[in-house]
Amino acid sequence: MNVPDRYERFVVPEGAKKVSYERDTKIMNAATFIVEREDHTIGNIIRMQLHRDDNVLFAAYQLPHPLKYRILVRIQTASQSSPMQAYNQAINDLDKELDVLKYELEGAFSRFSRSY
Amino acid sequence: MEGASYQRFPKVKIRELRDDYAKFELHDTDVSMANALRRVMIAEVPTIAIDLVEIEVNSSVLNDEFIAHRLGLIPLTSERAMSMRFSRDCDACDGDGQCEFCSVEFHLRAKCHSDQTLDVSSKDLYSSDHTVVPVDFSDSAAAAGEALDTKGIIIVKLRRGQELRLRAIARKGIGKDHAKWSPAATVTFMYEPSIHINEDLMETLTLEEKTSWVESSPTKVFELDPVTHQVLVVDPEAYTYDDEVIKKAEAMGKAGLVDITAKEDSFIFTVESTGAIKASQLILNAIDILKQKLDAVRLSDDTVEADDQFGELGAHMRGG
Ligand SMILES: [Zn+2]
Repeated sequence: MNVPDRYERFVVPEGAKKVSYERDTKIMNAATFIVEREDHTIGNIIRMQLHRDDNVLFAAYQLPHPLKYRILVRIQTASQSSPMQAYNQAINDLDKELDVLKYELEGAFSRFSRSY
Repeated sequence: MEGASYQRFPKVKIRELRDDYAKFELHDTDVSMANALRRVMIAEVPTIAIDLVEIEVNSSVLNDEFIAHRLGLIPLTSERAMSMRFSRDCDACDGDGQCEFCSVEFHLRAKCHSDQTLDVSSKDLYSSDHTVVPVDFSDSAAAAGEALDTKGIIIVKLRRGQELRLRAIARKGIGKDHAKWSPAATVTFMYEPSIHINEDLMETLTLEEKTSWVESSPTKVFELDPVTHQVLVVDPEAYTYDDEVIKKAEAMGKAGLVDITAKEDSFIFTVESTGAIKASQLILNAIDILKQKLDAVRLSDDTVEADDQFGELGAHMRGG
């Protein structure tokens, strides 16, 4: 009767923003990114990639509630960077890593099937 | 403004590859990436599955919704899924069938006329699209040396006089929506273990002690050479991180007999497909989907602009 549609778990509602940004009012170079309809899959890879960035002082993600389909990514950086810059860099690096992985796998698959 | 790159360059090695099974090593990346790939393969790589069933006649022993559920769970060949549209955002139709961009229609007509029970199976489903058909397992069964079973997946059994007639619409979907859309039977990964025996300490053990230590492992990781009486690591990957051999060594007063660590940047993946798409394609599709997901979480221009203004306003307020 009042069951929510299953797709509510992964379709961003009309009018809502996929990513919103909230600058911390007390701490310099700190911000929270609210990402709608994402979970541990995206949250954890972004967090781990941010940890590789020397300018990132703090990076963490949380899924505040299993039925609120959003994650929060909190970032604090050194003054020569910014949370936005670090966030963008992390996504770019992950994207390029996946390009490499795809190239490697395609090569490996075709070499493997040819040798059998 | 552009910062330094912290990109990684992963490497892979294929161990085994069949249509519905893949085993490979993934190196030079971390767990978050391995886990993201696993999660995407299970829940976010799209396939096609029956989603809407119109029953015309059903005098079988199973009720309508029971049959509809069984139809949904039949894997359909889904190479087309990646380029199809989801019905919910298809512009060409209102999402209830007969639209080539987002759906495939199936028909099933079966009636039992004899005293012999009639098995209605996935083979009785007639598709409007020859590229989207119930998965045929007879090839993989033949390859595995099993008896050739060409009967398909049984939907219901009919006795004399019983009939089943229906129309079904298959749609594109993902495992997150309903497990029937998951292309993965299982996807697992493990850390590649690194096992080192302290040979000097090992040589202080008697033959009986060696035997009982080797046998303390629940899986066959170590072996005692019958000739040289040396303990050998025969299958490091059989180790399940159960710590039994470590506890055993400690109980024997030989702490440090073996050193077992997980390599933090190496993983062994096993991927089993339902047959909807090939295992190799499943892995590649997962990468594409993950890339799309990353692209979707990029900051939009208006978010950046709004913050720039906020920054100026803040500077104005601070500086006066
Ligand atoms: Zn359509």
